[in-house]
Amino acid sequence: MAQPAVVYEECVTHESSWDADEALTAVYTAHYTSLVRLGALLLRDTGTAEEIVQDAFVAMHARWNRLRDPHKALAYLRTAVVNRCRSRQRHLVVVDKHTPRTLPDEPSAEQAVLRTEETDRVIEAMRTLPEKQRTVMVLRYYGDLSEAEIADTMGISRGSVKSHAARASKSLRQLLEQNA
Amino acid sequence: MSNDPNDPFDELMRRSLHEEADRIEPSDALPEIRARAHAQRSAARRPWLLTAGLAAAGTAAAIGAFTMLNGPDNTADDGDAVAGSTTTTTATVVPESRTPSVAIPSPAPSQAPTEPPSTSPSAKTVSPTDRGVPEPAVKSTVVPVYWLGQQVGAQKKSAARLYRTWAKVSGRPAEQAVRIMTTKQPTDPDYYSVWRGAALNTVTRSNGIVTVDFKQLPKSNLDPDLAKVATQQLVYTVQGALQDNKTPIQITEAGRSSGKLFGQIDTGTPVSRAAAGEVQALVWIDSPSENQMVAPKVTVQGVAAAFEATVNYEVTNLKTRETRKSFANTAEGQKFSPYAFQLTLTPGAWQISVYLLSDQDGSVTDTDTKSIVVK
Repeated sequence: MAQPAVVYEECVTHESSWDADEALTAVYTAHYTSLVRLGALLLRDTGTAEEIVQDAFVAMHARWNRLRDPHKALAYLRTAVVNRCRSRQRHLVVVDKHTPRTLPDEPSAEQAVLRTEETDRVIEAMRTLPEKQRTVMVLRYYGDLSEAEIADTMGISRGSVKSHAARASKSLRQLLEQNA
Repeated sequence: MSNDPNDPFDELMRRSLHEEADRIEPSDALPEIRARAHAQRSAARRPWLLTAGLAAAGTAAAIGAFTMLNGPDNTADDGDAVAGSTTTTTATVVPESRTPSVAIPSPAPSQAPTEPPSTSPSAKTVSPTDRGVPEPAVKSTVVPVYWLGQQVGAQKKSAARLYRTWAKVSGRPAEQAVRIMTTKQPTDPDYYSVWRGAALNTVTRSNGIVTVDFKQLPKSNLDPDLAKVATQQLVYTVQGALQDNKTPIQITEAGRSSGKLFGQIDTGTPVSRAAAGEVQALVWIDSPSENQMVAPKVTVQGVAAAFEATVNYEVTNLKTRETRKSFANTAEGQKFSPYAFQLTLTPGAWQISVYLLSDQDGSVTDTDTKSIVVK
């Protein structure tokens, strides 16, 4: 490659070994895709999920001096993405009441690889859940987060996480058994 | 929540959500995120940093862009023929030469070009006399779309420069070109746009002015240099599609001029094309295009404004790391001028880098790279 060495005009001296750009590149490389996927599961709209995740990365970059740690950065991103998706979802629900059937539904056509029937049923069933319950389930089963991490990310108590999860599981089990 | 690791319900949920998630493959957004991140910082304090060797994963871009050399004059300088002109003095060497029909826009049956935009589907907020008429729609044409790319060795001036790709469109060429510029990801992962999120309304011309009206302009604030180049990105793209690089561009939002574009550029008056030397990348590759499949004998063509007319290149086999280095000459030195060189490559993935060296210290100042696959 003829790419020249990195040109830094300014000596960046942080306590962390990474500056904001390096952190951005590293965290992006490791987590961008999975964060978009997380957002898309919450919103069912890949384009909006991408926008939201990009905003979150821009915010993370601005705040790197305070974060200074890739793990904290990831937690920050996750929280930012989940919060923004949730508020977007609430907005969409309101809009949806007035303009029926306009909820962005599926990833765009080029990504619409056929799902298995099983996944189809689960995703359909997830749609019936209230927003908080669905968020808890996505974070638990896609994000593989612990109860404590889910509580932190959503800004609710562990007790609430437990009860949302319990209610969600109950409804889902019922729905899936019915349709099985 | 169930804590039994073997609960089939847990398994099902995990499997289904992962399967659903895996269907989503976002395109690369790092350049854009970086641009926005830097634009938001106090631009004066921190210069643009270049992080070399980014993991710029698959941008299987939505644009069916392909490249060709379109004659030296289209990029040569201000006031010369624009991209898309039929002065194909050197285009004959290019395999996928632009179809000759390009220069003869055949108006779509329902859209008489001279009619006021009553036929225009995107009806507007302002009366047609104020806004001029839309360009005629064509069945198929090729338009240049400009993007921003890093100028690697820049120390002082704006670090971003304009790079060009080509896209095949049908409809109104300038509108289509701007739509690509504002909504698509460039094929080359080294390029980016700060126009993402802007929503185009119409492109119309009246005497002496081309008006590009947006439903929504980008909201980001950029540093002055970048804002200038980003504004020229629009000017170059629109003028290229209209094959007219003289007429200035009036940028409006919902029919009105809307204050400072990118927080910097006054849009109260039309914006003229900036000199190529100020904004255009000093070297780029027109052909082959990013990810193009090519025969072993490859002709690389591009445009450069090179000191002593020297364009250096380095070609690397991405697997074996076999590397070849040499240089080619542009037709003329110090000004934008075409260059071409031939390579004979073994099958596999290769990266072609062209670059210019500083006449002062021999460091790399400008570069463009393309990854290709040799059949």
